[in-house]
Amino acid sequence: METLAFQGLVGLSLAMYLWLLSAGLTIVFGVLGVLNFAHGSLFMLGAYFAFTFYGLWGINFWLAIILSLSTVGIVGYLMERFFLRHIYHLDHAYQLLLTFGFILIFDDAVKMVWGGVAKIPAMPGFFEGTVPVFGRLFPIYNIFIIGSGLLVALLLSMLFEKTWWGKIVRASASDREMASAIGVNIPTLFTGVFIFGAMLAALGGALGTPVRVVAPGIGAAMIIQAFIITVIGGLGNLKGAFVGAMIVGILSAYGILLFPVFELFLIFVIMAVVLMVKPQGLFGG
Amino acid sequence: MKKTLMVLILIAILILLPLFAGKYVIYMTIHILLLSLFSLGFNLLFGYTGLLSFGHAGFYAVGAYACAKILLAAPSLLVGIVGGVIFAGLVSLLLGLLCIRHTRIYFSMLTLCFGMMIFSLAWKWRDMTGGDDGLVGIPRAPLEIPGLLRISVAAMESYYYIVLVFSILAIFIFYRLVKSPLGLTLQGIRDSETRAACVGISVRNYRLISFTIAGLYAGLAGALLPPLENTVTPPVAHWSHSAEPVLATLLGGIYTFAGPIVGAFLFYIIKDIIVRFTEYWLICLGVIVLVLVLGFRGGVVSIFSGKGGTG
Amino acid sequence: MKEIIRTEGLAKYFGELAAVHAVNFSLKEGLFTSIIGPNGAGKTTLINLMSGYLFPDAGRVFFRGTEITKTPAHKRVKMGISRSFQIMNIFPRLTVFQNILLPVLSHLNKNSQAFSTLGSQREAVEETEKILNEVWLWEEKDSPAAALSHGDQRLLELGIAVATNPQVCFLDEPSSGMNPIERIKVLELVKKLSAERKTTFAIVEHDMDVVFSLSDWIVVMNRGEILAEGKPDEIRDNQEVRDIYLGEEI
Repeated sequence: METLAFQGLVGLSLAMYLWLLSAGLTIVFGVLGVLNFAHGSLFMLGAYFAFTFYGLWGINFWLAIILSLSTVGIVGYLMERFFLRHIYHLDHAYQLLLTFGFILIFDDAVKMVWGGVAKIPAMPGFFEGTVPVFGRLFPIYNIFIIGSGLLVALLLSMLFEKTWWGKIVRASASDREMASAIGVNIPTLFTGVFIFGAMLAALGGALGTPVRVVAPGIGAAMIIQAFIITVIGGLGNLKGAFVGAMIVGILSAYGILLFPVFELFLIFVIMAVVLMVKPQGLFGG
Repeated sequence: MKKTLMVLILIAILILLPLFAGKYVIYMTIHILLLSLFSLGFNLLFGYTGLLSFGHAGFYAVGAYACAKILLAAPSLLVGIVGGVIFAGLVSLLLGLLCIRHTRIYFSMLTLCFGMMIFSLAWKWRDMTGGDDGLVGIPRAPLEIPGLLRISVAAMESYYYIVLVFSILAIFIFYRLVKSPLGLTLQGIRDSETRAACVGISVRNYRLISFTIAGLYAGLAGALLPPLENTVTPPVAHWSHSAEPVLATLLGGIYTFAGPIVGAFLFYIIKDIIVRFTEYWLICLGVIVLVLVLGFRGGVVSIFSGKGGTG
Repeated sequence: MKEIIRTEGLAKYFGELAAVHAVNFSLKEGLFTSIIGPNGAGKTTLINLMSGYLFPDAGRVFFRGTEITKTPAHKRVKMGISRSFQIMNIFPRLTVFQNILLPVLSHLNKNSQAFSTLGSQREAVEETEKILNEVWLWEEKDSPAAALSHGDQRLLELGIAVATNPQVCFLDEPSSGMNPIERIKVLELVKKLSAERKTTFAIVEHDMDVVFSLSDWIVVMNRGEILAEGKPDEIRDNQEVRDIYLGEEI
C-alpha cells in the first residue's frame, strides 16, 4: 500500500514536467491555432541550455534557469517570427510539416553542439537529500518540482482569468477578427504567446536537468506524451492539460511499477479508451 | 501518349539495370522502390484524402516484422511477403477505426502516437521482436509455389527482379485506384468533407478505406525489406522513418500521382550525397523541409508541369 | 398536396441562445417555398437541422413519414434530400466536371468502384454532361473549380445540389454575396431548375422581388420561431410580417 502511495508521488513529480510542456503546447494551439510539433524540442533545448549554464559554466542555479528560459525564448521568437508567421494562411498540414522540419533540425543540432552522449549534472546543494515519506525516501528536489508545477498552474490560471493581458489573449483565441477590430495587434500577440509557450516548455526542461537525463531524443519522447495529454484533456484547454498531465504522469509511474517494459503501451491504451468514449477529450468542446 | 512512352522507357531501364549497374546501384534502386511504395501509400492518405500521417512507419514495421517471423518459421518468399502485407492491413484497419473519427490535427497527433507505440513494442517486446537487437538471420527465401516452381533469389539481382515485379504491379494497381470513382471520392473528401457528406458520401467509411490501403502499401514496402537486409530492427518503426515518405512526397509533389515516386528517387540521391559530407543529415533534411514548405509546396513535379505550388 | 418534410417542435440551442425554438415546419411537395425573416431568425439553422448538418436538441424531423431526426447527413442525401450552402462549398481542386461527377456517382452508388476508370462510367458521365449544360457551365468543365468566377461557383454549387436528383433541395441564400448581374443569373437558374425538375425547392432568400415572384408558399421566421406562413398575397398583407421588416416595401 505504501509502495503504491509512494509511486503516486513519483508519478506526481513526473506529471509536473509533462504539465509544463503540455501547458505551453495547448496555449499556443488555443491562441494561434498551431500545433507545434517541435514543442518537445524546446523542452529539450531548455534542458541543454540549463545544463550548460549550470552544469558546465557553474552559474548560479536560479540564474541558469532564467538564462535558459530567455535563450529558448529567443529561439521561439525566431521560429515564429521568421517561419511560422509566413504560413498561417495555409492549410494546417503545412504548419505541422514545418514544425516537423524543426524537430529534425533541433535533434541533430543538439548532437552537433553537445555531442550525442547523455549528460547528468549535479544537484544544486540546497535541494540535495531525501525525506522519508510513506516509508521510503523521497528526493527533496522532487518536492520542489511538484511545488513549482503547482505554482505555475496557479499563476497561469490567475493570469488568464484575472489579468488584462490574459483576457486579451483569451478574447483573441476565441475571435481573432473581433480582437483585431478592437485594436489588438494580432501578429505581436501571436509572437508573444508563442514565446511564452516556448519558455514554459524550456522551464520544464531546465527544472529537470538535475534529476533527468539530458540527451538527444528526450524532446521526441516528451512530445509524444504531450500529444497524449492534450488528446486526453482536449486541445486548447489548460485545465484539460493539467488533468491530462496528472493522469499520464501518475499512470506512467504505476505502469513502470506494475507493468514494466509496457508502461508506454499502457498510456496509449488509456488514450485510446478516452478517445472512444469522448473523442474531443475529457474537457474538449 | 508521351507519358506512357516515358513510363515504358523507365520500366525498360529498370529491367535492364543489372546488366550495366553494380551491386550498390541495384541495392539503392531496391530501396528507392521500397520508399516509392511506402510514399505512395502515405500520399493516398495525404495528397488524395487530406489526412497527414506521421506514424506511417508503424505499418511498414508490422509488414517487415511479420514477414521476418514468417520467413524464419517457413522460408517461402511469397508467404512471407503476402503475410506481411496482410498483417499490416489488419493493423491499419484496427488503428484506422480509432484514428479516422478525428479532425485533421488530432489525426496527425494520433498517428504519431500510434507509430511510436508500435516502435515501443518493437523495442521492448524481446520475446516477439528480439528487442533492440531485432530479428536476425532472416533468409532470402526462394520464391516457391509448391508443385509448380522454385526459384532461388539468393543473388541480389534476382531479388531485385522480385521487388521490381511487386513494385510495378502495386504501382499499376495504385494508378487504377486513384483514377477510379474511389479515387475521386477521396479527393472530394480532401477538398471539402462537408460537401462530400452533403452529396451522400460516408466520409468516415472512405477515410477508413484510404487508411487501410495506405497501410497495405506501407506493409508491402516493409515486407520486402527482411529478405533484402536479412535483419529487421526497431528503427524501422521510429518517427524518423515515418518522416521519409513525408519528405519524399513533399519533395516530389503532393497532389500528383508520380510525386512520391520522383521524390523517393530524389530523397535517396540527396541522402547519398549529404552523408558523404556529414553525419548530421537530419539537419539538412529539416532545412529542406523548411525550404519546401515555405517556397515550393508543389514539389519538383510541379516545377516541371508548370502547375505551381498552390498550397 | 403531399407533405414531404415535416418538423415537430424542433429546437436547437447554442449556449443560452435558442436559434430555433418549437418549430413545426411543413414542406409540401411541389410547392416552391421561401423561408424569409430578419438576420438571426433561425433560417439557416432550420435548414441545417433538416439536412442533417446539425442534430436538434429537441423535436423531430420527418421525411415522407419516416423519422430522420438523428440520421446522418450523407444518409439523408441518399434518401433524397440535398442542399446548397450560403458560404460557397464546392470541391476547389477538382475540375468543374469532377465537381458534378462526384455527386452523380454518389447518386448511382458508384463511389466505391475502385478498378474502373472514370471515363468508363458511361451513365455517370452522360448525366454529368447533361447537368453541366443545364447550369450553363459546359465551357468551363475542365477548369479547376477554384478558378471560376464567384458567380459561376454559385452556379456550380447549385449544380452539385441537384446532381443527386433530389426530391427536396434546400438552397441557403443562393444569391448572397453576388453582384447584381451574377444575382440575376443565379436566380434565373433557380427558376429554371424549379420549373424543369421534379425537385421541391425551399430557399432562404432576402431579395423580396425574387421571393414574391417565385414562391408558391412563404414561411416567415423571427427569433427562432415561425411567425407566419401562407401564400405570397397572404404574407404581403400580414401586419405582423410588415412590422418585423420595419416598413420595408414587400
